[in-house]
Amino acid sequence: MNGWQVLLCASILMVTSPCGLLAQHDMHEGHGTMTMEGGWRMVPMDPNMPMLPGLEDAVPVVGPFVPGMGMDPAMLPEARPSEVVALADMDTLDVSVSMVRRTIAGHEMVMFGYNGQYPGPLIQAEKDATVVVRVTNDIQMPTTIHWHGVRLDNRFDGVPGVTQEAIERGESFTYEVHVPDAGMYWYHPHVREDVQQDLGLFGNLLVTSPDPEYYGPAHREEVFVLDDMLIDDQGALPWGDRAPTHALMGRFGNVMMVNGETDYRLSAKRGEVVRFYLTNVANSRTFNVTFGGAKVKIVASDVSRFEREQWVGSVVIAPAERYVVDVRFDEPGDVVIANTIQAINHFRGEFYPHVDTLSLVTVTEELASESITSAFDTLREHEEVVADIESFRPWFGKAVDYELETTVRVQDLPQSIVLSMEADTLYVPPMEWNDAMPMMNWLSTAEQVTWILRDRATGAENDEIDWRFEVGDVVKVRVYNTPDSFHPMNHPIHVHGQRFLVLSMDGVENENLVWKDTAIVPVGSTMEMLIEMSNPGEWMVHCHIAEHLHAGMMFSFTVEEPAP
Amino acid sequence: MPKDEPACRWETARLRSFMLHIVTFLSLFGASPASGSDAWCSDGPPYYAFELYTTRNIPGTGLARGTVDVSASGASPFAVDLGPDGSYVYDLRIALERMKPPRQGRLVAWVTTPEIDQVARMGVLDENLRSSGTVSWNKFIVVITLEPDDDPSSEMWTGPIVFRGMSRSGMMHTMVGHGALQQENCAAYGYGN
Repeated sequence: MNGWQVLLCASILMVTSPCGLLAQHDMHEGHGTMTMEGGWRMVPMDPNMPMLPGLEDAVPVVGPFVPGMGMDPAMLPEARPSEVVALADMDTLDVSVSMVRRTIAGHEMVMFGYNGQYPGPLIQAEKDATVVVRVTNDIQMPTTIHWHGVRLDNRFDGVPGVTQEAIERGESFTYEVHVPDAGMYWYHPHVREDVQQDLGLFGNLLVTSPDPEYYGPAHREEVFVLDDMLIDDQGALPWGDRAPTHALMGRFGNVMMVNGETDYRLSAKRGEVVRFYLTNVANSRTFNVTFGGAKVKIVASDVSRFEREQWVGSVVIAPAERYVVDVRFDEPGDVVIANTIQAINHFRGEFYPHVDTLSLVTVTEELASESITSAFDTLREHEEVVADIESFRPWFGKAVDYELETTVRVQDLPQSIVLSMEADTLYVPPMEWNDAMPMMNWLSTAEQVTWILRDRATGAENDEIDWRFEVGDVVKVRVYNTPDSFHPMNHPIHVHGQRFLVLSMDGVENENLVWKDTAIVPVGSTMEMLIEMSNPGEWMVHCHIAEHLHAGMMFSFTVEEPAP
Repeated sequence: MPKDEPACRWETARLRSFMLHIVTFLSLFGASPASGSDAWCSDGPPYYAFELYTTRNIPGTGLARGTVDVSASGASPFAVDLGPDGSYVYDLRIALERMKPPRQGRLVAWVTTPEIDQVARMGVLDENLRSSGTVSWNKFIVVITLEPDDDPSSEMWTGPIVFRGMSRSGMMHTMVGHGALQQENCAAYGYGN
């Protein structure tokens, strides 16, 4: 967008909003890319957003990091799309963590990959199998692999300093991943996720059930890994070297991707039922996935199926969450799978509709097989799930065992950011769907921002929290996301190694339960969760916005074997 | 009240305790209390609840007040409930107090956009001066009017406004005209969406 276009757009903006949409799509050109102090480049901004006075030349207090700095990407192997690896019990997969060459939105970049793939290999294993994954690190940063959502042996949970030492460059670590629950899981590093995950280190682990009717009938299945990346006209914006930037809101990208591609297309027959396995691997963005008016049925989430299948208009999926949805494409033509949100412009004080195309499905006139098409109309009840959850119902009414409060503390932020935030406190939305303050967010680093999980009974914060349980305990935890803080924000709370139910949100009982490992707490909301402590070890609880995690928002708890 | 305890939960606990005493007292005389009072008390996030303010347009409402509890629908499998365009969908629970139901006409709850270009009828307030409904606008105003009769098909109020209140999101105004960050003439922008 050139200067005249910006002027034109700004003029039109006074009358209508859609121009703002154009600006959002072009925001990587925003205020113009310029090299700044220390090698930073100005964060991409919507050109219609005014820059904060006094911050025109400001850069984060940390230095910039880009992988393979000075390296010619052509020297690296080009990454290739994810491959499916089916593993039987005790099969071994070698995984190399290495630098790769990727081209995203026209920019050739040095990125990371598992076995040179994006996403990493799609590992398939049967429920109750154990798969062995031998990881060798060939990138310049230490790394680990966390098997997200899997109730596996604590030694293999992949948390540096808790369950293992980080894997240094040239070293290896062998994970034995036992998979007790059917469903879609994922794996990613637990070292500087804000960098490593953003650069492509993620993959799915699909655990299949021996029950052929575990899910209802579908014509076919598609894996959709949702991601975004922050790119300007020189490529990916640098990350913080010794600490993350974007610590206030997390690093929102401006380029959307499905399975690592910006133009992911599918075709389907008329009436075809497609099962989508959705995983959100973005650092911070919660997606609201819409399917262009096609009929959508939600079937499962992180660690189980829902008690009952349910019609939904869209799928709200926070970082690290997974959802399984069946979608029937009834009408021929193009169907846009999109992120459909009401973004916020704080400076104009308004919501505005914003749609990002994630994928395009071309539906042909050819009819899909009728039996599956019509079976889709039936909503199934999952009796096995209902019975399993029923056995926990005696604990539903128990008193709350622990209360957590989420909040934030800041220090040494530029004064204009502090003043601006303090002036803009009259309304905070339940969810931040977009980065409505890109410059302030970019300039806030994890050295200035501390995100906090606070035990309300003891006042202990983050790693001061010391919860201890025994295997078999069923624990009710209330999480309150206080709106009374410097910058309230929604948090996807992840519990390692266990499963939990979200019993209620703001006192409204959840009518259709599902076992989770990650759940969103909107601003101002109170979530009550029931955690089954089934797995011994030391386990993390943290916000899965990568920048919040590295700004302190985590603690670990211990589950011990009961005394004999 | 404990610090930051959701207000309604606290009220519910007090109400339950009070009701227990009432039940005990009434049972001595073979009577039973009116039921369902606390069913109206939502535990929705207090942050998004807002007040309704009297216009004093009808007698007996000078000291009256009202509240609107705002919560996501429990029917959604997600933590938030969204409409087709991504707008929030909220369950609203309206409660008025410090006044009596009018002798003539019916109090009707409406929800409208800040521009009042779209209006939806929520329904008649019951004998306890309560009503509930759903809204799928990000910013909205709740209006209580005194209507001559109960006409579910009516699309716009005809009687006087008795109460009104704006959603918390309505506090999010443009900062360019009046905030610490003033950079443009406030006449450039209105208070849209």
